[in-house]
Amino acid sequence: MQSANPLLPLKLLVRDWRGGELALIATALVLAVTCVTAIAHFSDRLTRAMYIQSQTFLAAERVVSSSRPVEQGWMAEAGDRGLEQAETVQFASMLSAGDQFQFASIKAVSDGYPLVGHLEMRPSEEAEARVVQQGPPPGEVWMEPRLLPLLGLSIGDSLQIGESDFTVTGLLDHEPDRSDNLFSMGARVMMHRDDLEATNVVQPGSRVSYRYLFAGDDAALNDYFKWLEPRLTEHQRVIDLREGQPRVASALDRAERFLFLAGSLAVLLASVAVGLAARRYSLRHTSYVAVMKSLGAGRGKVLGIYLGQLAALALIATAAGLLLGSLIQAQAVALMADFFPVDPPPSGWNPLLVGLVTGLACALGFALPPLFRLARTDPMQTLRRDWSNPDRREWLGLVLGPTSMLLLIWWLSGSLPITLALFAGMALLVGGSALVNRLLVRGRLATLGGAWRIALGSLQRRAAFNTLLIAAFGTGLLAMLAMVFARTALIDEWRMQLPDDAPNHFLINIAPYEKDNVQALLDDNGVTATELYPMVRGRLIAINDVPAKERKEQAGALRRELNLSWTENLAPDNRIVAGDWWDGVDTGNGVSVEAELAERLNLKLGDQLKFSIGGLEVESTITSLRTLDWNSMRPNFYMLFAPGSLENFPATYITSFHLPPEEKLFVNDLVRAFPSVTVIELDKIIERIRDTISQVSVAIESVMALMLVAGVLVLIAGVRASIAERLQEAAIIRTLGGRRRLLLQSLVIEFGLLGVAAGLLAAAGAETTLAVLSQRVFELPFTLHPLLWIAGPVAGALLVGTAGTLACRSSVSQPPLKVLRELA
Amino acid sequence: MTAMLRAENLIHRVTTNEGPLTLLNDISLQLARGESLAITGASGSGKSTLLGLLAGLDKPTEGRIWLAGEEITSMDEEQRAAVRARCVGFVFQTFQLLPGLTALENVMLPSELRGERNAAGRAEEFLKRVGLEHRLHHYPRQLSGGEQQRVAIARAFCSISGGADSTGSTDGILFADEPTGSLDAGNGEKIIDLLFQLNAESGTTLVLVTHEQRLAQRCQAHLRMAAGEVAVAAGRGDGSLSEVSA
Repeated sequence: MQSANPLLPLKLLVRDWRGGELALIATALVLAVTCVTAIAHFSDRLTRAMYIQSQTFLAAERVVSSSRPVEQGWMAEAGDRGLEQAETVQFASMLSAGDQFQFASIKAVSDGYPLVGHLEMRPSEEAEARVVQQGPPPGEVWMEPRLLPLLGLSIGDSLQIGESDFTVTGLLDHEPDRSDNLFSMGARVMMHRDDLEATNVVQPGSRVSYRYLFAGDDAALNDYFKWLEPRLTEHQRVIDLREGQPRVASALDRAERFLFLAGSLAVLLASVAVGLAARRYSLRHTSYVAVMKSLGAGRGKVLGIYLGQLAALALIATAAGLLLGSLIQAQAVALMADFFPVDPPPSGWNPLLVGLVTGLACALGFALPPLFRLARTDPMQTLRRDWSNPDRREWLGLVLGPTSMLLLIWWLSGSLPITLALFAGMALLVGGSALVNRLLVRGRLATLGGAWRIALGSLQRRAAFNTLLIAAFGTGLLAMLAMVFARTALIDEWRMQLPDDAPNHFLINIAPYEKDNVQALLDDNGVTATELYPMVRGRLIAINDVPAKERKEQAGALRRELNLSWTENLAPDNRIVAGDWWDGVDTGNGVSVEAELAERLNLKLGDQLKFSIGGLEVESTITSLRTLDWNSMRPNFYMLFAPGSLENFPATYITSFHLPPEEKLFVNDLVRAFPSVTVIELDKIIERIRDTISQVSVAIESVMALMLVAGVLVLIAGVRASIAERLQEAAIIRTLGGRRRLLLQSLVIEFGLLGVAAGLLAAAGAETTLAVLSQRVFELPFTLHPLLWIAGPVAGALLVGTAGTLACRSSVSQPPLKVLRELA
Repeated sequence: MTAMLRAENLIHRVTTNEGPLTLLNDISLQLARGESLAITGASGSGKSTLLGLLAGLDKPTEGRIWLAGEEITSMDEEQRAAVRARCVGFVFQTFQLLPGLTALENVMLPSELRGERNAAGRAEEFLKRVGLEHRLHHYPRQLSGGEQQRVAIARAFCSISGGADSTGSTDGILFADEPTGSLDAGNGEKIIDLLFQLNAESGTTLVLVTHEQRLAQRCQAHLRMAAGEVAVAAGRGDGSLSEVSA
């Protein structure tokens, strides 16, 4: 037999649109695909922007940082592998120009620097800044503008570094990796690497930072670093892109994961709507298929027609979702332009693939099983005039739908434990729904009579569906409630962490001889600063005599230099959680370790730590563990030593203070008085963090709103599944004398009760979520939110009550005779 | 004369919660091309079950059926569907038109399922023959009961005509299940006239289930059923009925 007209599925699809189920399936698919595509696009572009910025931040794609020169063979090997390379050497030294002397941070750069990003320099004070891809040539230096007056220099004058003379040929306005070492001493002078030896300023024991920059083909880079890794010593570490802006990156990473997780929930709810609508569609089409079969269409042909319809619908809806998702993300990126570190490049194909897979997973996982059942329709049903679907093989739907969602969410979240936790949460929610539903129908509400009796009867008859509805709507509502309440807490918490008078300026690189004068200047100007903390750089090289390299923990603290400090007094945001603070007691070589780091490194009280500071080894014993608030904008340290322990090492001092905008000019006075001190202006960064929070909140709320829409879709799909039955019941009641108003009241009661149940469940879930967030994330004591328990049921009753009654209004408004005739 | 439809010793049982139930018990019959058979009986007597088995919608528990010379009882569902597509037409009591399709599209459906070209032209021709050329693009809800049944008859003949020869004569067999059951007397009469007129014109074989005595009387053979068995089997006596036996 010939195959059916290939356009027949499309024609049936178009003609059947009025039935409502296809529109519902399409809407749910569009919603799921839009949601996931927008998030994937956004995340992809953000990652790319971060990637580019991180590269710029490093002035390379990867960097080896070392406190001593590396073997020349390493660079030769990189050259052999076709990698671009450059080298920078950074150290502090005294400059002299005539009888003027100034301490400065010198950076000697080789040809090729920077490999990524650019320098900005001016050939004269009046000139516009120029973008250049190369540092000064040999014999010349560029310097930060503020050094000129301090040394009484002009462009073209001579400057002495060590034993060499240089000509000042430019002012340095920007270097991409300037922040690689914020704690560098003084203003920057840049010279050529080839001139370094002649200056004779770098001597054995000098504190010098060598950085070896690499860029090139990803595969070649990976191979090279695989080769290099085992050769690295404790003095060297590899810096990759992830360390570009670790804190912002991890915050964004969390936001991204959260968005994907919330998006996955929206997809899950949309899928349930797809499943319900497809089931209803399949039931309504049982008679059509029976007729087609009696006209000679076999199971394969019927399946072909309906699969063709589903494929067309899924493709159209997915395409619409991809388009909408792309438009929404474009709009979101435009709105959040300031938030991106660099202009985000366009995303690749991956987000579209994510959207496509989501659309197909929803459609195939949830719509396919009812269609398979439909194709098994018995043609004898045309003669029996029985349109129930006798095929009880529901297992396919029970297996395929959840499995496809599990795989999809696993893929989207990239974490099986999170996926399983999500499913476990959903299972709990369904269990809770079943319980609430049971309590609802077993209550004594029916004794209220009239509309209550009809509503309760309806709830009892549709108990299984109602469980699903409460769970689905409860999920959407839970997400909204948790978000609204958590956002308030989140913003408040951040505000508390960053109160209006939070320190917004850091002073670093304060030389010991400047300490008292800096303090005096601050005091004279009425600026309240935190304590001036001494700081030395050191590397943790052994724990209980086990070399750090041999420790299995992968903490970054084992691979990089740490800022070590000592103090008599515990800072207000620090809290001792184990052991004792020294409080005047001589603890010898005691050290207090930050609690989270201690946990990561499995450290406990009494452990012996060995540090390497300026080539000398220092041993200490852990006498206390501290928690602290990294967001307090105060100087904080992983390792705080007892006073006296490190006093023999050369230290610089650090402090932070709050400066209101109207007193900003004080910074100039400070810089003029202490040119070698570096001022970090955090006020702009804090403002950006605040903007970021509110913008990310908007993104998260949008996804939550989509979840609620998905919940409404489930409600409509569910109501439509029972509409024929409802029409018949309403027609019979009206024929027997029931008034339209009575039926309307019963609908309001039925859906209102469902909404209250969903709202109660959502309130319980949101309260639990908030409790976990408070304790685990914000570290706040648990507090009950009474408003939540009112807002949940009220919002549920209003939303479900309105949406449900509206979706069912046709069952009340249609003339009973017409209904009974049509259903006959 | 070649048998268009032949059934031998049909037995059909189903399993219920109360145990096995025999719906049909040892029924045999034979119809030649162009003959008509009415199956009557009380509700639950097994007449619709018999109609379904004869049309190949289901397989009997025991016994054999030949439709247009092919033994359909040895075929699987797909093969039986292919036979139905080739030579079976159906008219149902409740019309069973697809509500989303117009009258024309409903009649086109069998041709489209077969992947035939010019489905629209053929469907239009059959709708003209049932007098609905002015209702081609109306949806079922816009048609009266009688009109809907006429569309269903046009669809049934369109379905059979897939196997028509060059003279328009077919090896088709039309099964009608209570074709006038949902119509008033006047409309019922018109539908019966139309059914027999088209049957005579195209030489199709007709098997119909009915409660109406006057409809049964217009058929050449009559099988009255009771409790799954043939209570009365009768030919009209004009020699055209090949055989009806119990």
